[in-house]
Amino acid sequence: MSGNNNQVSRRSFLKAAGSATVATAATSTLAGCAGGGGSEGGTLRYGRSAHSETLDPQNTTSGEVSKVTNQIYDGLIDFEPGEAAITESLATDWSMDGTEVSLTLREDAQFDDGTEFTAADFIATYRRFTDEDYEYYFEEGSAYGPFTLGNWIDSVEADGDYTLNVTLTQPYAPFLRNLAMFAAVVLSQDDIESGFDFNADANGTGPFQLDELDNANGRIRLTPNENYWGDGPQVGELLFIERGQNSTRAQALVEGELEIIDNLDPSTISTVENADSAEVASGQGINIGYMVFNQSRVEAFRDARVRQAISYAIDTQSIVEEVYDGIATQADQPCPPALFGHNDDIDPYPQDLEQAQSLLEEAGYGDGFSFQLTTFQNARGYNPAPLPTAETIRTNLGEIGIEVEIDDRQFSDYLTYTGEGNHDASLSGWYTDNADPDNFYYVLMHPQVESPDGQDWVDWDTEGFNTSNRAAWANDEFMTLVEDAQQTADQSARAELYHEAAQIARDEAPWVYIDYADEIRGVGTSVNNYTVSAIGGPHLHLVEVE
Amino acid sequence: MVSKRFVAKRLLLLGPVLFGVATVVFAILHLSPGDPALTIAGERASQEFVEEVRSNLGLDDPLWEQYLRFLRETATLQFGQSYQIQRGTPVSSILANRLPITIELAILGQIAGLSFGLPLGILSAVKQDTLTDHFTRVGALAGISVPIYWSGPLLILLFAQILGVLPTSGRISSSYFVDTTTGLILVDTLLEGNLEAFRSAVTHLLMPVVVLGIYSMAFISRMMRSSMLEVIRQDYMRTARAKGQGEKITVMKHGLRNAFIPVITIIGIQFGSLLGGSVLTETVFEINGIGTLLVTAIEQSDYPVVQATVLVFAFLYTLVNLFVDITYSVLDPRIDQ
Repeated sequence: MSGNNNQVSRRSFLKAAGSATVATAATSTLAGCAGGGGSEGGTLRYGRSAHSETLDPQNTTSGEVSKVTNQIYDGLIDFEPGEAAITESLATDWSMDGTEVSLTLREDAQFDDGTEFTAADFIATYRRFTDEDYEYYFEEGSAYGPFTLGNWIDSVEADGDYTLNVTLTQPYAPFLRNLAMFAAVVLSQDDIESGFDFNADANGTGPFQLDELDNANGRIRLTPNENYWGDGPQVGELLFIERGQNSTRAQALVEGELEIIDNLDPSTISTVENADSAEVASGQGINIGYMVFNQSRVEAFRDARVRQAISYAIDTQSIVEEVYDGIATQADQPCPPALFGHNDDIDPYPQDLEQAQSLLEEAGYGDGFSFQLTTFQNARGYNPAPLPTAETIRTNLGEIGIEVEIDDRQFSDYLTYTGEGNHDASLSGWYTDNADPDNFYYVLMHPQVESPDGQDWVDWDTEGFNTSNRAAWANDEFMTLVEDAQQTADQSARAELYHEAAQIARDEAPWVYIDYADEIRGVGTSVNNYTVSAIGGPHLHLVEVE
Repeated sequence: MVSKRFVAKRLLLLGPVLFGVATVVFAILHLSPGDPALTIAGERASQEFVEEVRSNLGLDDPLWEQYLRFLRETATLQFGQSYQIQRGTPVSSILANRLPITIELAILGQIAGLSFGLPLGILSAVKQDTLTDHFTRVGALAGISVPIYWSGPLLILLFAQILGVLPTSGRISSSYFVDTTTGLILVDTLLEGNLEAFRSAVTHLLMPVVVLGIYSMAFISRMMRSSMLEVIRQDYMRTARAKGQGEKITVMKHGLRNAFIPVITIIGIQFGSLLGGSVLTETVFEINGIGTLLVTAIEQSDYPVVQATVLVFAFLYTLVNLFVDITYSVLDPRIDQ
C-alpha cells in the first residue's frame, strides 16, 4: 500500500491501481478518504515541534513517533485518558499469578486492511521485536524490545485465537503496564511476514488509518479507520503538523491554523493565555528533573553528607518558581506524585546554607571543592531551562565554597558523555514509560548488579551495570526494597515498599531532586473533549472539533 | 564553441574534488566527540544493547574498514542507510525526497537575485555618482552585510506577525496535499492543476526566496556595476557612440556582453552560496530541504546522512562551477585555449 518511501498516498495508490484491483476488504476503508481536505466531523490539526519520519513503533525511541502510531495501532492494554490507570484495549480481561499471565482478547477487532486481529498477531509482534530465532526478527529494532518485553517474557502461547498465555522470567508487577507502552502495540502477522514497509506505511487496529506521510512538508494525515472496534473518531481528518519554533506554533494556534499544540514554554504559554481563540490546558506530569552525583567518578560524592549539603544549598524552590516560571512543582523524591509509589510524607530539602556548610565541614570539605556539572543545552519537558538551572546551581554552591564549572553539550553528545560515565555531576531527567514507580526506582536508581561490600556505589565499568543509574548509587537496603516491590503483586503492599525506598532516596540524596514538570498544551476554543495525558495517547479519537 | 577536451578535463577533476570532500567529512565525523551507537540506542538501552547496535552498524570495525565501506557505498550512490532520521532507510531515498526542495529554493533565489541585481548594477554604472547610484550601492552593501538569520526573522515579524499577510513557515498550507511528481512544489501544484494550492505555495515561498535573493542580488549588482564601469570607458564604446549609436543600444549591445563575463563567475559562486544559505533559510522558515536535513542529521549523529548531504552540496557546487566555466568559455573563447 505504499507509494515511495517518503510519501504514501492512498489517493495516489487508488488512482494508479484502479478500482478493480483494490482488495475488497480495503475498499470500504479507503473510499472515505479519497477526497482529502475537510470532511465530516471536521479536521483536527495537531501542531508539534518535530516531524516523525518513521511509522514503525518498533523502530524508534521517539515520543513524536508514538503520538502518531498510538492513533493507528492498539496495544493489548491502554492507559485511561488523563490517568495513570490502565484499561482494556485489544485485551478485554487479564489475570496475573506469579509468573503466569493470561489475557483474553477482543474478538471484534480488525486491522484497517480488513484482516481480523488474533493472538497470532501479538505473538508475531513480540517475536519480531525480541526473538533472534524468528525469521522476521527486526535486528535494528529499538531498545524498547528488551526493555518492554524481551527482558521479562520467557514464552508466549496462544490458546485458540483469543487467549494468550504468557510466562514471565520472574514475577514482575509492572508487566501489564509494559503492554500499554507505545512500543508494545500490535502489528499484523501477515504484514510482518510479507515484508510490509512499517517505516513508510501503517496498518493497525486503532481509530485512525494512515492517509499520507508527507516527509517533504513535515505532515502526516490520518483518516478514520471504519473498522475500529471502539468509540470515535469524532473528526473526519487528523493532521500532525510540524512547527519547529515555539512562537510560530503558538501563533498558528492563536490564529486558528492549528487546534492543539504541545511543548509550550513560559513565553508561548502567555501568548496562548492572552488569546481569545485558545486556552492553556494542563495536567500533572509523570516525570522528574534532577541533578545526579556520579559517585563512580568523584570521591567527595561518595559521602552522603556532601550530597546532603549540596541538596541543602541548592534553592530548588526558586528554580521551579523563578527559572521555570511555575510550570513545574518542586520535587522531593524520585517518584512523581501522580504514581502510587510517591511518599506524601516527604518534604523537599529547604535551602539552608548554614546546615549545608556544617555538613560539608563534618565531611572534611569545609574549604570546598570543585566539580564539573554537565548539562544539555536545549529545553526538555522536565527541564524547561537547563542553562539557567545550571547557573543557579553554580551561584548557590558558590556560597558554600564549592566551585562549579558548567559543561553544556548538545543532547546527543550529552547522552554519550554521561552514558559513558564521564560526568562529575549532570542535570538529568526522565519521562515515564509505563506510569509504574518501578520505572523510576528500578530503572534509574538500581545498579542491576550486586552492591560491593562496604560501599554504596559501583564502579562504572562493572560488567552489566545499569548506566541509566547515572549516579552509580548502589544502596543495599534501597535495592532490596525495590526488588521486592517489583515482584509484589498487591498494589498497597508495593506502595509501602516504595514509600520506604523514597525515604532512603531522600535521606541519602544520590540526586538533587529538582522538579516535576506539568504537562501543558495549547487548545483552540473549537476543541471539545480533549484530555491532557501524561502517559499514552494523546487520545485524539475522542476529540471533537466544532 | 567549447572544446570537448576542456569539458572532459573539468569533469575528470570532479572525481578528486569529491573524493577529497568525502575523506574530510568522514574524518571530521569520526574524530568529533559523541558515540552514535549510544545516541541511537537511547536512554533506555542496556550496555549490551548499545554493543549490539554498534556491531549492527559496523561501528566497532576498524576505522579503515568503515572508510572503505563508506567509499564503496558512496561510489554506488546508495550512501548507506540512515542511522536515526529514518532508521534503516537508504540515504539516497531520503535525499531524493529532500533535494528538489532545496534546489527549487536556490533556483528561485537565483532568479530573484539576477532579476534585480543585473538591472540595478547596470543602472548604477550608467548613472555613476548620482543619487540612484548611491542608493543602489548602499542597498547592495546592506544586502551583503545582513545575515539570513537576522533578515529572516525580521521579515517573519513584519509580514507574518505584525501585518499578517504572509505565512510564517513551511512550503504550503496544511489544507493542501499535493502528489509528488517533481518534488518542486510550484511545479507539482501546477501539474495537478490546483491553482489554490499553487497560490498557497507562492505565498509560503515568497519570504524565503526574498531572503536568499537579497544576498545574491547585492553581490551581483556590485559586480555588474564595477564590470560595467570598466567596460563603458573602453575605446570600442567610445567608437560606438562616435558612430552615432544611441546610449541605450551602446550599453546593451556592446557593453553588456563584455561586462557580463566576470559576472558569470559571481553567479556560479553565488549559486553555491545559495545552497549554503539554504541551511539557514530552511531552518528559519522551517522548510524540510537538505539544509534542515543536514542540521537534524548532525544533531542526531546520523553519520551516513551527514556524509551524503555534504557530498551532495559539494557535487552541486562543483557542477555549477563547471557549467559556469563552460558558459564563460562560450562568451570568451580564449578561456579554453
